[in-house]
Amino acid sequence: MDFANTPSFFRQGPRPLVRLISCTTLSIALLVADSRFGLMEPAREALSVVLYPLQWAVNAPVSGARDLGSFLTSQTELQQENRQLRAAALSNAAQLGRLATVERELAELKALGQIASSRTDVAAQAEVLYTGRDAFTNKLIIDRGTNAGLRGGMPVLDSHGLLGQITRVQPLTAEVTLVVDKNQMVPVMIERTGQRAILYGYGGGVELRYMPIHADVKEGDRLVTSGIDSVFPPGVPVAQVGKVDRNAGAAFARVACIPYAGVQSSRYVLVVSEKQMPPAPKPAQPAAPVDAKAAKAAAKAAKKAAKKAADKGAAKPAAKTAKAASASAPR
Amino acid sequence: MERPQELLKPVKRRLIYLTFTLALVVELVPLPVGSVRWLPDFVGMLILYWVLNQPSRVGIGTAFILGLIADVATAGLFGQHALAYTITAYLVLLRQRQLVMFNLGIQAIAVLGLLQVNQLIMVVARMATGSAFVGWSFFLPPLIGALLWPLLTNLLVLPYRQRSL
Repeated sequence: MDFANTPSFFRQGPRPLVRLISCTTLSIALLVADSRFGLMEPAREALSVVLYPLQWAVNAPVSGARDLGSFLTSQTELQQENRQLRAAALSNAAQLGRLATVERELAELKALGQIASSRTDVAAQAEVLYTGRDAFTNKLIIDRGTNAGLRGGMPVLDSHGLLGQITRVQPLTAEVTLVVDKNQMVPVMIERTGQRAILYGYGGGVELRYMPIHADVKEGDRLVTSGIDSVFPPGVPVAQVGKVDRNAGAAFARVACIPYAGVQSSRYVLVVSEKQMPPAPKPAQPAAPVDAKAAKAAAKAAKKAAKKAADKGAAKPAAKTAKAASASAPR
Repeated sequence: MERPQELLKPVKRRLIYLTFTLALVVELVPLPVGSVRWLPDFVGMLILYWVLNQPSRVGIGTAFILGLIADVATAGLFGQHALAYTITAYLVLLRQRQLVMFNLGIQAIAVLGLLQVNQLIMVVARMATGSAFVGWSFFLPPLIGALLWPLLTNLLVLPYRQRSL
């Protein structure tokens, strides 16, 4: 029995049971230390460093074979995959385009929603249905009309600034004339200096007209509604000054401006009610001739009444009427 | 009863190291995922083999150290393989003189039992530290290991069988 050679008596070391007990205790201690306290991480790391060359040596042929396999991938397979990927890319692009549109719309709505919640004079929030088909005017049709309480003359904003003004109202739709439309005018104020001016649309753009050559206006100035008219609420951004052209031969400077509102791009708009003016003083008294007649008539009536009253013997109310009539006469 | 009567060359220490290295390599080879379910624990089998046939060279201490290495290689809990290998090595040492006399069939049955003890210890260790029971398929690899036992023995005898006899 050379194969299972019997150990020599002196080299035996500790007895197997002792070894068993010590090793078992040690491994149980390791188990507990690892699972309960995570103490064995350094030892594990050290051992894994020792194992790494072995791991690498084992993995190298496998990954090499894999690389070789991918190198030898057949042409047809590649072509097929290429075709599939192209198709996928196409459909993805379409989806992405849709997503971009939806995202833009969402951003616009969010911005508009913020403005709507910060304003107290919002009449309606509307969506642009289409742009007017007339090539000579710049108009939009929105999907709210008299049903939403819109009236002609109401200002229309989008998330960036003033867009235009309602010029025609149908039961379910309304027509908005944009600030860039010819004949559309907006009283504005240069925000930096407070100077007032009028912004004219010229069909496709806006400009400040009748600005003196030496007027303090610079490229980049913000134009906001001045609020001195009875239509636009004050402080709404309208346009930014673009190029200022001061020609010594002309009486006025040419000030081209760029509207803030997306005149061609906005999808959702906000209609605000016209500025609430303090109640105007009673209109001036009617013109004298008309009034004189009326006064005479009133006086006549008063006299008649007085007579009647005198007949009746109760002059008081008649006198009152006469007094009122004379009060309405020009002072 | 025929095998021990063979005259064999003394076993070199190098061969023992080499076989253990190979077994660890098998543990590390990136095999298909499903193979773990039936692939036997080669390190455990080799420990059984060397403890059975070379008890003076490979003993409980070696089993313990190899167990620690196997723990790291298999990313298991630190000490579970060590515990299992230590105990099975001791069990082999208890009956080593009997076992080594048996023929390969009976040895294989004994090995099956020992490998199952290995698995059982590991399951108990994992469950004691809070893992869930992995299922009965965990006890399948020892069966395959036992079937492979005669092959393994014959393979490992080859290098030191004497040519001139």
